[in-house]
Amino acid sequence: MSIIKVERSVYSHLDGHRQRELRVESDTDGYVVTLRGRQTKIKIEDPRAWNGTGAGKAGSGIAKVATPMPGKVIRVLVALGDRVESGQGLVVVEAMKMQNELKSPIPGTVKQVQAVEGATVNANQVLIVVESDAS
Amino acid sequence: MFRKVLVANRGEIAVRVMRALREMKIGSVAVYSDVDRNALHVRMADEAIALDGSASSDTYLRGDKIVAAAIACDAEAIHPGYGFLSENADFAALCVASGLVFIGPPASAIEKLGSKTSARELAKKAGTPIPPGTEQALTSADEAKRIAGDIGYPVILKAAAGGGGKGMRRVEREEDIEAAFRDASSEAERSFRNADVYIEKFIVRPRHIEIQVLGDQFGHMIYLGERECSVQRRHQKVIEEAPSPFIARHPELRHKMGEAAVAAALAAGYFNAGTVEFLADETGRFYFLEMNTRLQVEHPVTECITGVDLVKWQLRIAAGEHLTIKQDEVSIRGWAMECRLYAEDPDQGFLPSPGEITSLALPGGPGVRLDSGVYEGWRVPLEYDPLLIKLIAWAETREDAIARLERALEETHIGGIRTNIEFFLDVLADEAFQAGDLHTGFLDEWFLRRKKHVFSDQDLAAARNAAELAAKGRKIERVQPTAKSKWKA
Repeated sequence: MSIIKVERSVYSHLDGHRQRELRVESDTDGYVVTLRGRQTKIKIEDPRAWNGTGAGKAGSGIAKVATPMPGKVIRVLVALGDRVESGQGLVVVEAMKMQNELKSPIPGTVKQVQAVEGATVNANQVLIVVESDAS
Repeated sequence: MFRKVLVANRGEIAVRVMRALREMKIGSVAVYSDVDRNALHVRMADEAIALDGSASSDTYLRGDKIVAAAIACDAEAIHPGYGFLSENADFAALCVASGLVFIGPPASAIEKLGSKTSARELAKKAGTPIPPGTEQALTSADEAKRIAGDIGYPVILKAAAGGGGKGMRRVEREEDIEAAFRDASSEAERSFRNADVYIEKFIVRPRHIEIQVLGDQFGHMIYLGERECSVQRRHQKVIEEAPSPFIARHPELRHKMGEAAVAAALAAGYFNAGTVEFLADETGRFYFLEMNTRLQVEHPVTECITGVDLVKWQLRIAAGEHLTIKQDEVSIRGWAMECRLYAEDPDQGFLPSPGEITSLALPGGPGVRLDSGVYEGWRVPLEYDPLLIKLIAWAETREDAIARLERALEETHIGGIRTNIEFFLDVLADEAFQAGDLHTGFLDEWFLRRKKHVFSDQDLAAARNAAELAAKGRKIERVQPTAKSKWKA
C-alpha cells in the first residue's frame, strides 16, 4: 500500500495497482472523504477531543438546539421557562430565502434562549437549550 | 452593435452574458451588492458599479438604481439575465423611457404573458392548444362543478394571479369541488390579494417539454427544438435535457409544438429569445402552460445541440439586426444534459448550505461545458439563490451524454459546503431515468426507491488511510513555524 499527498487535501492511494484519489476535509467530528464524487464520514479517535465538554451530556436529557446553517433569526417561538413538547418549533432561521424551523428533540423546559430576532447566526451555533424533566 | 452593456444580474448567468460581450468586443458593466464586491461576475467585468445594500430588494431588484448605474457609465443597453428584473414589464418600460435598450422582449409582451389567464386567452386565440377549462375567473362553486362535469375529472383549480403552487387544488370527484373552490380562493386571496380562481383539466403524469423560440424585431421567428425538464423538485427544475426523450420517440411532435410556440409568441408581439412551456401527456397531446419571457437557466443544452449562441443573438436582435437563421437551417445534433449544482444539503431536506468554498476541482475533457459563478476561497452568501454551477454534458447519444455527465460529476469537487452532486449521481444511475421514462412527479416517486451508494470495504479502508494521514498532517502543521517566503529580496 502506498499513499501520498498530491495536492492540498488530496491523496493518491495505491493498493497494489489499484489507484484511488481521495479528497479529505475536516468536519465537526471527524473527516469527510470524497471518492469520485461520493462522500463518507470517517471518525479518527483523537485523545485531544476527550476534554469532557459535551461528553456525557447526551444521556442526561439536555438538548442543545443549534442551527445547521448560517442565517438570520426570523422568530423566536419560546421563552425562558416554557414547557415544550418533542417536535415543537423553537426558533425560525432563514437563509437563502428558505425558512427553517428548529424543533425540540425532547419534551422539557426551556433553560436558555440565546437567539435574538433579527440576529445573524453561524452554522452549529446553539440557539436554545431544553432540559428534560427527568434529569 | 452596442459599445457597452450593463448586466443587471449576478452569479453564473452574469458571467455567461459577460463572456458573450467579451467575445463580441462589447464593454461589460457589472452591478453588485455589498456582499458581492468579490463575486466572480465583478471580477469578469470591465466596469463595476455598487448598488448599496445587500438584500435583493435593495439591490438587484431596484430598477431605478440599475438604470441610474447604466446612465452613469454611459452603457447603451441592459441585459437582465434570468430571475430578478428579467420578467418585470415596468423595468423593461423604464429602460426604454430612460433611453436604454432592454435586451429582451417589449414590455407589452411581458405584460400580456405575465398573467396566467391572459396568456391562456392569447394562446387560445393563436390556435395553441391549452388544457380544457376557463379563461375567466369562476363566479361560483356551481359553475366549477358544471365545467368540471364537461371536461371530466381530475381537474385543477388555480389562482389567476398565482405562482409557486399557491392557490392550487387538484380535485378528483364532484363531491370535493365545493370545498376545493373555497380553499383555493381563500388561499389565493391571502397569497396574492386576488381571490380569482380558474379551472383546468388536470394532466395526469405529464412531461414538461418547452420550446426555445428566437425572433427579431421584423417578425421573423424560429424555434430551436425542445428541452425536457420533467425532473423537478417542488416545481424547480433540477435536470434538463435536449432533445426530449419523448419527442425522440414521437419526432412529428417537434414541428407541431414548435409551430404552436411561435404562433403564441407572435400573437403577443414577442421578439428576442423566449420559451414556451408545454405539458405533454402519454398519448402525445400537449398543452400550453406559460411563456417565460427571458433567457432560461437551461439555455445551454439548446446551444449544445443546435450550435446557436442564444446570448449573442439576444444582443444582435436587441441592437436591431435581422435574425439570419432560417427555420430549415436549424438542425439538432447529439444530446445534451444539464445538472444545476446548488449549495444545499440533500441529506437535510435540501437546506441551503452557504459558506466558504475551501477547495474546488472542476471537470474538463470532451463534451463538458461548465457555467460557473464561483471560485475557490469565495464565500457563498446567504442572501441569494444557491445556484453555484451548471454542469452540462454533450455527446452523440443520450446514453453517452448520461455517462459523460456522470464522469464530469465525479471529477467535480466543491469543498467546505454541501452540494447536490451525490444526489445527481444517484438520479443518473436510476433505470427509469436512463430509459427516459419521465414525468413531473418523477422525483417524488424516485425518492421512495432511491438506492444509496455503498462503498466497498477497500474504498472505506483507503478513505480511512487518507483521513488518518490528514489528521497526522494537521498535527505537524500546528507545531511547524510558517514557511518563509521564497521571494527574498
